Amino acid sequence: MKVYFNLSLEGFSNCYVVTNPEEKAAIIIDPGTVTKEILLQIEREQLNLEAVLITHNHESHLKGLATLRKIYTPKIYAADYEVADRETQILKDDGILRIGGLQVGYMSVPGHTPDSMVFKIGKVLFTGDALTASTLGSTTNTYAERMLLAAVHNKILSQHDDTVIMPGHGPPSSVAAEKNFNTSVVVRTVSGLDDKG
Amino acid sequence: MPYHVKMFSYVICQHPSCQKTAVSNYSKDTKTLSTHEYCFEHSPIASQIEEYIYEYIKSNDKIVGLNASGISFQNLDFTNKRFYGCNFYGCTFRNIHSENLRSRMSMFDFSIFSDCNLLGSNLQFTSFAGATFSHILFTNSDLVHNNFCGSHILQSSFDDSDLYNSRFIRARLQNTSFRNCNIKKTMFFEMSQENVSFKLSNTREALFSKEIDYESLF
Repeated sequence: MKVYFNLSLEGFSNCYVVTNPEEKAAIIIDPGTVTKEILLQIEREQLNLEAVLITHNHESHLKGLATLRKIYTPKIYAADYEVADRETQILKDDGILRIGGLQVGYMSVPGHTPDSMVFKIGKVLFTGDALTASTLGSTTNTYAERMLLAAVHNKILSQHDDTVIMPGHGPPSSVAAEKNFNTSVVVRTVSGLDDKG
Repeated sequence: MPYHVKMFSYVICQHPSCQKTAVSNYSKDTKTLSTHEYCFEHSPIASQIEEYIYEYIKSNDKIVGLNASGISFQNLDFTNKRFYGCNFYGCTFRNIHSENLRSRMSMFDFSIFSDCNLLGSNLQFTSFAGATFSHILFTNSDLVHNNFCGSHILQSSFDDSDLYNSRFIRARLQNTSFRNCNIKKTMFFEMSQENVSFKLSNTREALFSKEIDYESLF
């Protein structure tokens, strides 16, 4: 498994290309922009773009999808129908997909947006905006914040400590780092909100 | 800013109930990097693995997808070494000298760095969360898009460095200088600082929040 990182300067979002060289398969996660480098990588290695995974329906995470759909015919996985209308493969709750010889886990982590999903490939979690290094995704109300905290706690922080976190914005992190230093998670533990949530 | 990185192997250690990733192994004969069956802690040939990894780093400038989690590095020269997608989780680095060290998408979480001279490094999209830095010189480095959250940094220098979009959330900074640095979009939320200098740095473009009493968190 290879991971390509691409910073989209529009919205400063992180786009990832995950490839399986043995199967000549590629998956793109959150195509905020599609750059020449991404396309060249796919073309040079003669990869088949099997799927595009969208962590949530925000423009900075999917603006490049229109470009990709003009060139390739990937399956588009998202929790929101509006991402690609009839072409969207709707994801609900949690589950596992098999794409290009890779096992792709998906988990619903609503809060930042109702359609927020986290994807797990190998020991890497692609968390979108639900969780970035030491901060939780922004929410519009306290109900959403509590829901996000509960989901992050149950589905992300329950993973093994050395699981890598590749967020939608900012630098990478690990589960152990988030357990110890995330401003929302540690406050929650200190103030004993677990019992109320 | 595209990086093409082969991530380290995510083969799980074969020791019962261990969930850590297996450490890398290097064959001198075939000069290839492979994955060992165990993590460093559970490897029956840990000291041998350590030697092989030193040898691999010594003989290669471009190091891709190496998993050296848990290994100690001492008195080595990392000048011009380039680490891509490597795992140094929980490693120890003592008395390391380097110039033009380069890293992309590598993990140094909970590592310990002491007495290292890492001048002119170019480290991007790399995580040092929870790491300890004691007497480290990062002077004149590009440290863009890095995670220093929860790190403990003492008597170290980041002078003349570019820290754009890096995060020092909940870091403990003691007797450390960030003079003449670019700290645009750098996050210093909830950190604790003692004798820290940001002289000549663009603090107005950085993101600060109220300091916290670090001890009260634990």
